[in-house]
Amino acid sequence: MNIKPVLLTFTLLLLATAVQTNVQAKEIKIVETDDADVEVRIFPAEGNILLLGFACDEGKSISEERTAQSLADDGIEVWMPDMLSGFMLPKVRSSLIEIPTDSLTKIIAEATKTGKDVYLIASGPDTDLILRGASEWEADNNPPLSGAILMFPRLFKETPVPGQVPEYVDSVGKTKLPIMLLEGGRTPNRWGLNTLSHELQKSGSKVTTKVIPKVRGYFFKRQDANRSEDVVTSQMAGLVKVSLFYLGENEI
Amino acid sequence: MFKRITPFILLFSLTGLLTGQAQAVGLKAVKGDVPAPALQLKDLQGKTHNLKDYRGQVVLVQFWATYCGPCRKEMPSMNKMMTKMGDVPFKILAVDMGESEAEVKQFVDEVKPEFTILMDEDGDSIQSWKVFAAPSNFIIGMDGNIKYTLFGGVEWDSPELIEKIKALGKE
Repeated sequence: MNIKPVLLTFTLLLLATAVQTNVQAKEIKIVETDDADVEVRIFPAEGNILLLGFACDEGKSISEERTAQSLADDGIEVWMPDMLSGFMLPKVRSSLIEIPTDSLTKIIAEATKTGKDVYLIASGPDTDLILRGASEWEADNNPPLSGAILMFPRLFKETPVPGQVPEYVDSVGKTKLPIMLLEGGRTPNRWGLNTLSHELQKSGSKVTTKVIPKVRGYFFKRQDANRSEDVVTSQMAGLVKVSLFYLGENEI
Repeated sequence: MFKRITPFILLFSLTGLLTGQAQAVGLKAVKGDVPAPALQLKDLQGKTHNLKDYRGQVVLVQFWATYCGPCRKEMPSMNKMMTKMGDVPFKILAVDMGESEAEVKQFVDEVKPEFTILMDEDGDSIQSWKVFAAPSNFIIGMDGNIKYTLFGGVEWDSPELIEKIKALGKE
């Protein structure tokens, strides 16, 4: 008996199963907002926590998707709205201003319909959008969200002038949401954590900060990632779960 | 008609030149007398440096880090800058932002800065000097006041910068 065709068939079957498992784990939901239809990639899970956010840019958020899948495997549902594609915007910082806040609150409303505890998550300048969304959500007297994870937030209004306290974007200090701030140890922004935390607390947020040693900002998007950054990227789901714990979730 | 327009063209050209020069220099003048915060740190050889001991000199205090690309790129121009300051008493104190001695020593072996590198592993001076980005620069005048600030990497040996900083040695 020639074993090669059998092995080949077995390998192909295994691959097909793996791919199928991945596809089955993800659902697509279209949320209609006033200005655009936003595609939301859903990694469903049975637990009572729903994490809404992450940058989701036309399939390029590979590390985020892996993290989302890993979280879903552990019972945390993840929703990744592709805001940029929905509004046909390029992946540049200035695009964020173009995204109307109420488009995010529409997606938050959909997420809350699941009955799960909804947490928000974003990184870099995208953190502005979830802060905007959270404050508008609260202003409309909606049921409270459970918290937000801001990964290496970039919320300066302008480049900070040496010797002066920086000015932050308008969304900072407008929400009461409990906030977890994560920042890389190898970025100057870590030295601004206390100041940012203080500004965020002005509206009543309870803010927890954590510096992740030996990594730079955007570590999970870097082409030139070092060993520490690779390790932390592979453990990002754990980082998120620890953050949720700090935000007051004790059932993980 | 042409005669009427010419002065405006000249004016606009001059404005453009001035604006261009200001952008090239990148220095932000500090209004009034703003004393530099205290700065007392050890260098890589363990010697303590106190900023107040450099009163009477023009001092460039820079906050930098090994992971900061622009910091690495501009350091050779800082070496050259020191040779171009003429008879102006001038000192560079480059404060590393909270890294380990091993990390900084490796960087120094590669990049070879010829000025004083100070260590601030706890980041105390970074907080007191209100530094939120790297590289952040402060030009301290001979009277101990901050004269200019500058954010970002530049060519420190450019004639415009040298001229402006040398002028502080004549105040």
